[in-house]
This record gives sequence, C-alpha cells and structure tokens, in this order.
Amino acid sequence: MPSSEILVQPLARRLGLLLLRRGSLLALLLILAVFAVSAPNFLSPGNIANVFAQSAILGILAFGLTCVVIGGGSNVVSGGLDLSLAANLGLCAAVYSSLNNAGLNAAQAIGLTLLCGLAVGALNGFTVVVLRLPPLLATLASMNLIAGLELVLTQNSVLPTDSALLDILATGEWLRVPVLAWVLLGVALLLGLLIQHSPYGLRLYAVGEYPQAARAAGLGVGRYVFSSYLIAGLCAAVAAFCSAAFFSGSTTGSGDMLLSVVAIAFLGVVFSRRLVANIPGTLLATLLLGFLINGFQLLNIASFWVNGVQGVLILLVVAMSSALRKEEGGQ
Amino acid sequence: MTTLAATPVSAVLISRLLRGILPLLIVVIVVFFAVAAPGFLTLGNLSSLLLNNFVLLAIVAIGMTWAVAAGGIDLSVGTAVDFASLAFVVLLNGGHGLPVAISGALLAGALVGGFNAGLIAGLGITPFLATLGTLFIGTSIQQLLSEGGQPIYIAQNLLPGLSAMSWLGVPLPLWLVLGVATVYGVILARGRLGREILAVGTQVQLARYSGLSIRQISLKVFIASALACAVAGIVLSSTVNAYVPMSGNAFLINAIGAVFMGTTLSRNGRANIPGTLLGVLFINVIANGLLLIGWNFYWQQVATGALILLVLAFSFGSRRLQAQQ
Repeated sequence: MPSSEILVQPLARRLGLLLLRRGSLLALLLILAVFAVSAPNFLSPGNIANVFAQSAILGILAFGLTCVVIGGGSNVVSGGLDLSLAANLGLCAAVYSSLNNAGLNAAQAIGLTLLCGLAVGALNGFTVVVLRLPPLLATLASMNLIAGLELVLTQNSVLPTDSALLDILATGEWLRVPVLAWVLLGVALLLGLLIQHSPYGLRLYAVGEYPQAARAAGLGVGRYVFSSYLIAGLCAAVAAFCSAAFFSGSTTGSGDMLLSVVAIAFLGVVFSRRLVANIPGTLLATLLLGFLINGFQLLNIASFWVNGVQGVLILLVVAMSSALRKEEGGQ
Repeated sequence: MTTLAATPVSAVLISRLLRGILPLLIVVIVVFFAVAAPGFLTLGNLSSLLLNNFVLLAIVAIGMTWAVAAGGIDLSVGTAVDFASLAFVVLLNGGHGLPVAISGALLAGALVGGFNAGLIAGLGITPFLATLGTLFIGTSIQQLLSEGGQPIYIAQNLLPGLSAMSWLGVPLPLWLVLGVATVYGVILARGRLGREILAVGTQVQLARYSGLSIRQISLKVFIASALACAVAGIVLSSTVNAYVPMSGNAFLINAIGAVFMGTTLSRNGRANIPGTLLGVLFINVIANGLLLIGWNFYWQQVATGALILLVLAFSFGSRRLQAQQ
C-alpha cells in the first residue's frame, strides 16, 4: 500500500517534499506579503482589481498555450507548443481594428476577428496533426507568417480604433471590478471547467501524456490535438480584444509577449500536485507575475528588473519541480 | 533485408529527392531571382548579401546546431551575442587593445554558456526552459547596465576596420565563418565528441547506459554554442561600431529555422553544419531577392514563413516515407 510507505518515510523528508510541493504557493504568498508591507496601496481592492485587469492579455494567451501543452505533452521540443500565439494576437488586433475602421458592424467585426484567430489555430493544427511537423517548428514558421501578415495589414504602424466593445472592455466596471478582470476570470472559469472538469479535458490530458494508451482506448488523438490549437487560436482572438481595448487599437511588437506567455504557462505547472500544465495553475502564475510587476511599480523599482526576476523565478521553480520529480521517482 | 529489396524504386527515389529539397530550392530561387531581379547576380549584391546578412546568422546558427544535435535548443543565443559585444566594446573603449577585447568577449560568451550548462547539467533543467530563464535574466542585466537600451559606441580610431579587412581577396568575416564552420562541422561529423553529441541527441537512455556522461557533454555543447555566439558578437560590434543592447535576439528565430531546415539534408534528420549553412543561405537569399524585386520587408516575412513551412513539410514527409519502408 502506498499509504503505509508514506508513513514509514522519515518526517524530515516528508516535510522537505511538502515544502518543495507547496514552495511555489509559499513563494507567491511571500511576495504578496513583502509588497503588502512595503507598498501601502498594494492590498487595496482597487489595486488588486487593477492587477487582474492588467494580467488579462498575458493570462488569456497563457491559457491557450496551456491547452496546447496539455494536448501535446509537456516535452517542449516534441510536445505541445504554440509559439504563434503572440503573433496571432497581433494579427487579430490588426484585423479587428481595420474591420472596425472600415465601417463593418460590431457583430461582423467581432465574428471575423474570432474567425481569424481560429484560422491561425487551424493552420497550426493542420501542420502539426496532418503534416506531423514538430509543434516547435510548425508554430515557429507560422509565427513568421502571421507576424508578416500583420505587418502587411498595418504597415508596421498603430491602427487606432474605437468601438462600443472596446469602451466597455477598457473602462467598464461591474461590482467595482474592471471588465478586463472579469474577462480574465471568465475565460479561466470556462477553460477550467472544460479542461479540468469535463470528459473532453480528461481525454486531452490522456492524449498529451499517453498518446499510445489514448489511441488504444479508441480516442482520435489527432482530433484532440487539433482542437487544442483551435482553443489557442480563440484565446489569441479574445486576448486581441483585450489588447485593442488596452491600447485603443492595434499596436506593433505584440510578438514580444511570446516568451512571457511561455514562461507563465510553464510556471503554472508547479502549482499542480502532479506537476502537469493546468488552467488554475496558469491563472496563479499569471497573477504572480502581475503582482510582481505591480509591486515593482508601486515601490518605484525600475521595470528593468522584471525580466530578470521572471527568469530567476522560472529557473527556481523548474529546478524545484525537477528535484521533486527525482525525489518521487526515487521512492 | 527482404524489406529493403522489396522497397519500390520509386519510393527510394522520392525520399532521396525530398532530402535534396533544400539545395534544390536554393538553386531554384537563385535562378528565379537571377531572371526576375536584374541586380541580384551582381558581385556587389552577392557580397553584400554574404557580408551583411549571411555572416552573423551563420555563426549563431552554427552554435545552435550543436545544441539541437544534442537534443536541446539554445534560446539564449542573443544573450551570448550581446554580452560578448558589450565586453568587447567596453574593453576596447577602456584602451585595453584588441587582443584583450577579443578574449574578454569570448570569456563573456563562455560565461553565458557556462551558466546555461550549470542549469542544464547541474540542476537538471531542460535546455528549453533553462535557456529561456537565461534569456530573461540576460535581458534584465542589459537593461540595467544600459539604462533601458542605450547603445555604447566604440570610440573613433580604436577599431582598425576589422570587417573591412580581407585576405586572399576574401573579407575577414567570411574567413571567420569558414573557420568556425570547419571546427564545429568537423568535430560534429568526424570527432569523438560529435558522435557523443549525436548519441545523446538521438538516444539519451542508450547513451547513458553505454557510459557517456550526459552532463559533461551538455556542458561542452552549451559552452560551445555560446562561444560561437560570442564570435558573432565581436563581428557584430565591429561592423556597427557599437554595442546595441538586446540586438542579438534578432537571430534566434532564424537560427532555429535554419538549423531545422538543415536537418533535411541528413538521412536521419540530424542537425549538421553544412545543412545549417544552406538553411541560413536559403533565408538570406529569399530576403535579399524579394527586396530586389520590390517586395517590402513585410511581405518578405510572410514569404519566408511560408517557404520554411514548405521545406519542413517536405522533409518530414520524406522521413515518414522512409520510416514506412
């Protein structure tokens, strides 16, 4: 019985394991505590709501990546990866801005933008599932292609636009919480239900981690992987609306977000007990990063530190989880 | 053996043809641009293509080839390029002379590689995430050192026109590419270390059971990758006469693309130096040619993405064909 084995383990070792496992959550709480003490406004409801709202864009993109990682397996080179997410956001924002400026009505502009995100997802799904390219390469190439299309559309300039939807997203509030924060939580809830609590989600995990077993059990592995890229594409489109609201139109250089998105999705892994990618974990990682950036701003620490702290966090967390895996493997 | 004999000749031919897709495509696009863009085949254009575009990407991609051959990837190539460039410029401006500046730059690059290697070999972090972390940290350090990205210019008359020098009529940077490619290529294809790298890259369990030290090999690989980037950093800063923070990152995506396109050249889909160089050439020729026939930079990127996708689709298709035989 595994339970008796755990009982005979020395206490110190069990504590160590517990610390490793809960270390990431502890780190999050510690960071919050430090900021709460040193920055007076940090824990005010207004500021917390702001952090949620500012995390919306990165968070929703990271949810998309999380789904792809779950469906493709967590090996970064041969497993699931979508490097085109940030570029897809850029393209969708540009498409929405130009459609909206061209005078299409709201439903058409929104619908076509969602379709654009889906189309990019379908392209990735096609190259990964049908052409069987490694996702790293397939989405690297599609990232180039999509970023190029965005440049063609915008001529590398900002396309300012204004619509009722963007107004609501940018300035709307409900229960004194910004709409962007609600969007983040809403997407998290939807995807959380779909991925963590539905048969679809369970099968997606199976397809990602044990493709052979999933195939033997009669699951259409390819279809599930394909669908995960479609979800990622949709996420990019939704994030594009948030970004367009935030910047009052499309901006250039959205591709710069890519590495942060990747970092968040892989950071989210450590918030799960079995060390797999998951939606709540990604949400926590997004907020962790959001609070970090926000705390730095409140304390007037140069934003130049943000990247470095993010890098150290990734390394720390990944080193911890690989140590944890070794420990558990050795039992 | 019966399966070999039973393989239809056509399938063998097709898979051979697909393996040659990259050189074939290069010839096709060169011919196309030679006809379509009058200025393409002139000496001036070709030498500018090689000197301004090919050299830097090629050296970075050569380093990346080793990382990919060992089953990893190096996302921090830009950091190594930038750190080397920074050390080079600062040491030159400090009046320490060229030899010290060059050694300092190589050392700075090796430091980045050593950091990666420590994370990968020491802490057991996968190369993708380890080098991602390094990239983030490197970006921060550069932002802090340069007040957010201010370039540092090399004081006048300190640098004796390194990139304008030539030997036997061939510019110095091209010699550098040749040298780096030869060293990295010969070791990878013929050397003992090369065989070990490929063993780790293709069958890591098998390599471990046959007594190879995975740690030592990844240590060497990631330091070597960063050293190549350091060479690129020196060439970069002596070309633009400055250290421009975070400029090395521009090579990352194309270097990965070139290396993986280069794997199509190998029968087993392994990363190899000649393939990588062809991949770099492919990317450069397309960009240059499209520019000459009047496509702007934006369309170039679309076309490059589409063509890379095409090459990859063909090559992985051919490997599947082979696997089925």
